[in-house]
Amino acid sequence: MTVRREKAERLADEELMPLVGRKDPEAFEVLYDRHGGAAYSLAYRIVGDRAAAEEVTQEAFISVWRSGARFDAARGSVRSWLLSVVRNRAIDFLRSKAGKAPKLDFDDESALEQRPAAERTEEEALRRETATEVRGAIGKLPGEQAKVIELAYFGGFSHSEIAEILSLPMGTVKGRMRLGLEKIRGELAEGLA
Amino acid sequence: MNGNDHNRWSEDLAAYMLGALEPRETVEFERHLEGCERCQGEMRWLQPALHSLPESVERQEPPPRLRQALMAEVRADAGEEGDERRGFLPGWLREGFRIRGLRIATGFAVIAFAIAAVAGYEIGKGGSEDEGKAATLVTQEHGITVKMVREGQGGTLHLAKLHQLPPDKVLEAWVRREGKVEAVPALLVPDRKGQAETTIADMSGVDTVMVTEEPQGGSETPTGEAIVTMTVPS
Repeated sequence: MTVRREKAERLADEELMPLVGRKDPEAFEVLYDRHGGAAYSLAYRIVGDRAAAEEVTQEAFISVWRSGARFDAARGSVRSWLLSVVRNRAIDFLRSKAGKAPKLDFDDESALEQRPAAERTEEEALRRETATEVRGAIGKLPGEQAKVIELAYFGGFSHSEIAEILSLPMGTVKGRMRLGLEKIRGELAEGLA
Repeated sequence: MNGNDHNRWSEDLAAYMLGALEPRETVEFERHLEGCERCQGEMRWLQPALHSLPESVERQEPPPRLRQALMAEVRADAGEEGDERRGFLPGWLREGFRIRGLRIATGFAVIAFAIAAVAGYEIGKGGSEDEGKAATLVTQEHGITVKMVREGQGGTLHLAKLHQLPPDKVLEAWVRREGKVEAVPALLVPDRKGQAETTIADMSGVDTVMVTEEPQGGSETPTGEAIVTMTVPS
């Protein structure tokens, strides 16, 4: 028994998930329409190639379709969970391509910024404002904190690999990660105040 | 939990959240996290910062073919489930079964597999088991290609097109012999190509082979849903 598309559109993500778990294509389609753009954008940001981003996004959504019942609302929103699935798939993809970790030229300061310009659409306009605020929060980070967070989250590097790349003690890398996340958290909290 | 102990682990929290700890460190940290309310609280506080990272990327428009391909696969999957609900398959096969609490994903997985497996059964190069030659069962379930190569008393189970598992999960194979479920000792971990295999030393009397997703280290009895269920012709 599947819900009709119009009904599915009225449901919150958390209400869609049990339906996805029961293999309802309409519910899944709504989920994709809501988050497919963000998922593809994240995959593209990590793998840096459109075909690979497509593959990663498709694999991630199929795994969600097949394991939708594993979503645990106590651990965050559906969107966060879904994007973490995409992120993990994308990092796996990078590692499989590069042997272990992605190869990036970290002597070049712009290496992490070499991503094509955005092709924004009206469909995602509602998300744009939030994304801009978030980018603002990350943009306010001191460069050294932003760099370790980018290398870890978008590059898939471990703290010891980052320490090697940046010629820093491991404790310093962990400390910068912590300070960076705390600062972003603080900015977000201020934004809500 | 004393303060010093917490401070030692607290340094690792952000690295853990960013997925930047080494696998061994991750296991150790998770063990600590389970019993440390301070770390749990700090993690809850930092969670929105972590969740904001994917939102910070420049938006890209996914190609329409991605949606089309995805929905085609999803509808094909759902169609199979629908066939079962509509009684497409014989009742005696549709009953499904339970093995020590293992919830098979409805009877359909078993049924479809039984039919596909029997249909896909082939005896290698005109030989037979009795003559000591290899016999091969090949089939697919939920996009996973499954091949069982029988040789003598034993066999090798090959899986392909597997999705990567979370770091805390492994695949575990099980055989049902005379109504009793036994674990296959070697656990399966998909390689980078999504392939995995394990050897089943003794296939005598085995009527079903299954694979479930289990916690790291495996389980004594199946705890997850069967992702693959193969009926072995006698």
